[in-house]
Amino acid sequence: MLNVTALAKSFVTADGTVKAVDDVTLSVAEAQCCALLGPSGCGKTTALRCVAGLEQAERGRIEIGGRAVSDAASGLFVPVHDRSIGMVFQSYAIWPHLDVHDNVAYPLEVARPRLARVEIEKRVMDVLALVGIDAMARRPATRLSGGQQQRVALARAIVRRPQLLLLDEPLSNLDARLRETMRRELAALIRQIGITALFVTHDQAEALALADQVAVMDQGRIVQMGPPAEIYDRPKTLFVAKFLGAANVLSGLIEGRDAEGRAQVAIGGPHRLLLVTDRPPGIAVDVVLRPENLTIAAQPPAEAFNVIPGRIAALTFQGSHVEYEVDIGGAATVRVLARAQADLGRGMAVWVGVDSRQVAVFEAS
Amino acid sequence: MVLAVGAGAAIYLIAVPLGMLLFAAFRGPADYLPFEPGTSWTLAHVRALFIDPVILTRILPDTFVFVAGTVILAFAIAFGLAWLVERTDLPGREVWFALILFPLLVPTPVLAIAWIFLLGPNAGWLNLAIRSALGLAGAGPIDIFSMGGLILCQALASTPFVFLLLTATLRVMDPALEEASGASGASPLTTFRRVTLPVLLPGLLAPLILVTLITAEQFELPLIIGLPAKINVFSYRIYFELNPLSSLPNYGAAAALSLPFVALGVLLLLLYNRLIRRADSFVTVTGKAYRQRRLPLGPWRLPALAFVSLYVVLAALLPAAVLLWTSLFGYALPLSATSADFSLEAYRTLFASRAFQLGLRNTLLVALASALIVTVIGTLLGWIISRSQFRFRQALDFVSVLSIGIPAVIAGLGVMLLYLSLPIGVYGTVWILVVAYSYRFATTTRLARAGFLQIHSELEEASAASGARWLATQRRILLPLLRPALTAGFVLLFIVGVREFTIPLVLSSPDNVVLSVLLWQLFQSGQPGPSAALASIIVAVALPVIFLARRTITRRAMAD
Repeated sequence: MLNVTALAKSFVTADGTVKAVDDVTLSVAEAQCCALLGPSGCGKTTALRCVAGLEQAERGRIEIGGRAVSDAASGLFVPVHDRSIGMVFQSYAIWPHLDVHDNVAYPLEVARPRLARVEIEKRVMDVLALVGIDAMARRPATRLSGGQQQRVALARAIVRRPQLLLLDEPLSNLDARLRETMRRELAALIRQIGITALFVTHDQAEALALADQVAVMDQGRIVQMGPPAEIYDRPKTLFVAKFLGAANVLSGLIEGRDAEGRAQVAIGGPHRLLLVTDRPPGIAVDVVLRPENLTIAAQPPAEAFNVIPGRIAALTFQGSHVEYEVDIGGAATVRVLARAQADLGRGMAVWVGVDSRQVAVFEAS
Repeated sequence: MVLAVGAGAAIYLIAVPLGMLLFAAFRGPADYLPFEPGTSWTLAHVRALFIDPVILTRILPDTFVFVAGTVILAFAIAFGLAWLVERTDLPGREVWFALILFPLLVPTPVLAIAWIFLLGPNAGWLNLAIRSALGLAGAGPIDIFSMGGLILCQALASTPFVFLLLTATLRVMDPALEEASGASGASPLTTFRRVTLPVLLPGLLAPLILVTLITAEQFELPLIIGLPAKINVFSYRIYFELNPLSSLPNYGAAAALSLPFVALGVLLLLLYNRLIRRADSFVTVTGKAYRQRRLPLGPWRLPALAFVSLYVVLAALLPAAVLLWTSLFGYALPLSATSADFSLEAYRTLFASRAFQLGLRNTLLVALASALIVTVIGTLLGWIISRSQFRFRQALDFVSVLSIGIPAVIAGLGVMLLYLSLPIGVYGTVWILVVAYSYRFATTTRLARAGFLQIHSELEEASAASGARWLATQRRILLPLLRPALTAGFVLLFIVGVREFTIPLVLSSPDNVVLSVLLWQLFQSGQPGPSAALASIIVAVALPVIFLARRTITRRAMAD
């Protein structure tokens, strides 16, 4: 449905030329939702704006629904208004001189060939009902709450049934509680109308919850692309591992291999972990442990390996879970997310259990 | 205490002179001061207004054509410039921005004299050039001393002010509004017609009102260019009543003539305030940082550059060049001049004259003192309006805004009436100028009020909670935070003070001459050399200020 090939775009700033998008290739299948995820300045918004036609790429090719809309090699560039897209802007960009109804009717009114008045009315009211704001059709745009603005922006983007829906940080302007509600609604709506969607976010929870495919971007490049579970469970780089969740990162050194081929990794002091990695001995590595994949116990377990002894330095009650901060010596701490256990308190000696299948090991840079 | 000082000063500097004006309009005989012995109440002056054929057949139409023509032309030029500088990839935007501000920083008589040198029907440089290029004889083809010439000059002079207002309007518009239209399938033209213009409209109306008001108050160019062309506008007529050719000053008539003018000003200001408030509710800035996408000009780059250069050449570069040249070479023309024509005599004459030394001292003294007074009082007013519970703070706000609606001629007249009536010997000294200049609170009050509003009251409460007394909080928290805004206001007022021409002309005496008035006197008495030399000196001083002001303004814009 959407095919982006070897896209590149740079900007000239006061400090020189910056490669905002550097050789990005991705494709999104019909009725799939793809998230461009990355920290601010990683080029995700620029990539989205190139797809929209708001920026012109220097290299690469973009196809929407089988039709080439941008091809730097042949000089082809279809302007934004001739692309079959709908776009939700980060600021929502609700026109202040029009009311809710007229904002949403606008894409239909400027369409060529012209649509019949009754047809416009019907489609506007249908889409307003779909996003749940049909009761405030005549409300001035300047008197809308954040959540309502978001709905108007979404209604306006889908009213002319574009082939591709683009969303630029669609939830970042909402407060935390509303953001969760809208995230759920947005996900349901995109599935319901079966539209192909590409959206940009810096919030990994948003990307994991909404997208069928997540493309993690860093410094203008896609570092990993795949379904949310794969990205989360099998990060390819330390950057992806850290960006997708509050991870513990320990510096280690591969000392050797055991009989079963597992690597013995020293992680400071007397602690050793037996981990799965193809890196040879003598290599410095970063060991990434997700807090929710660790276990914590007040007694040493029966098996003596893949257990790190320590002492609880702090604990934070989070409702269903407790985050334990365990001091493992050598100025290193490990965070463990586990169900609350009555026998664990501050200052107590504990043993942190590591499942070697859920540990990611990266060569240290 | 603070309330009393602020309110008292505002009333003394604005309301009392206006009150004197009101009295004078209804006291007769006309050539007496309102409280002189032998005067009584009368409606004669006001009645005379309505039956004076000159007012109905000459002054009203002339004023209307002058104001309408100037506003339309200045708006067209300024919108083009502002749009090119703010929203497109025009090369050299920073430099253009600074150069466009030039007319705003030099006294208007400097520009007027330069334009007369350039466009005078007989010996104007441009006329000579056109005549020799086309092989024409006689005078012209361009006559600056006509309604068209006056409108052109006033529009060139007013453009920077409109330009600043419009760049501010363009800058706060979220470009995503236009992008959203494109993403909805609208072509660029449809987007401009259905989104850009309607969204900008409230932001354009308010500047339009303000510029109309300020154009109607203009006096310098109607005097220097309009008078020889026998164009008679309101502001000049008021001056004429005070300085008739053959009789005593006609205070009553001048005051009566001022009343409808002030009333119109107040009406326009009320309208302006309403529009500003509506425009504010329209503001769609979200606070999220966005990178302004500039429209690529493509093949339109050269026409755009030509347009901007044409303005800058006519309004800044050529005027500066002709003044410098004339000060060194007199009437000898650039192409035919020889080294024998070169002379520093004009500068020698100027520096040796007592009037120049006095004028320089007076100009700096008055500009500094009035800027200081207004900054202090404007800050107090800003505090009262935004922070205190003073019952009449809205009224006080309006009094301070009123200063925009009072033309300089009328302010001068009000102050003149007041100090001619008060036996304190201020009249004719430089101090009357300080007092008269100091009525322009509006800018500082606005800046200070905006500054106070930006400072969250929790910052003060945190200071109080840390044990600081009220005064310590004001001095150590509020003032330092306000300082950038106040500095900008002070610089602006200083520039306005140096530019001022009308008030010192109305109140002029041999002792309180300032440079702008001296320039006009020199020019009037047929001394092109020394007047060009004086104008060149003023320009040379103004040039560095342009870049300073540009920096201050940009920084403020960025802080906003």
